[in-house]
Amino acid sequence: MRAASARFLCAATDLQKDLGEMVKKDKVVVFMKGTPGQPMCGFSNAVAQILRMHGVDHYASYNVLEDQELREGVKVFSNWPTIPQVYFNGEFVGGCDILLQMHQNGDLVEELKKLGIRSALLDAEKESK
Amino acid sequence: MLACTRLCSRTIFSAFRTSPVAAVGQLQRGLSTQTDGEERIASILKEKFPLASKLKVVDISGGCGAMYEVHIESSEFKGKRTVQQHQLVNQALKEEIQGMHGLRIFTDIPK
Repeated sequence: MRAASARFLCAATDLQKDLGEMVKKDKVVVFMKGTPGQPMCGFSNAVAQILRMHGVDHYASYNVLEDQELREGVKVFSNWPTIPQVYFNGEFVGGCDILLQMHQNGDLVEELKKLGIRSALLDAEKESK
Repeated sequence: MLACTRLCSRTIFSAFRTSPVAAVGQLQRGLSTQTDGEERIASILKEKFPLASKLKVVDISGGCGAMYEVHIESSEFKGKRTVQQHQLVNQALKEEIQGMHGLRIFTDIPK
């Protein structure tokens, strides 16, 4: 019994270590329900749509619905109780509400710039002018 | 920008499109008093954020207690980034969130 719980703890600790690497591996990392092409939740869909609007097409996304351990582990890792969760350059940005706010107040364009990503909305503005 | 907001709102609430009964319930509830859940969450937040100048808790799951929207304005949020402000609310509602499907948070600092 004790061996089983020790193994369980090991797996959970490994996941926390893995998450530490996962969020740093790519500039933009999203933990969501479903995939960017097929989100399975309104909030995850909103995040996917916002990123698409800004022309961020290549980002790492992890479907928590496929992995129950990941679903719980990422909440522990980020100390954040809900999904989706967005990371920029290994730093936790927030969930859907925060990304939406950043999109609306122009902060998202700035943050993407810091990542070396030029928001598609900047080009869209240029075209309309 | 406004079109984007509408689009996002539509997608966020598309999950609720399958429940017109809940939507009607939501309209009717606009005229009634708070649910137990709303009251409980509001009192927890009042306790954890004694300096809050504005506080509103809305059950956006048609009264089912599955999803809430929290609007809170407090000087306790001064100097903190939005994600940190939301973290404070998350910490305050740690127990309650266990029973929720989702939570929307809107924080503000008094002007």
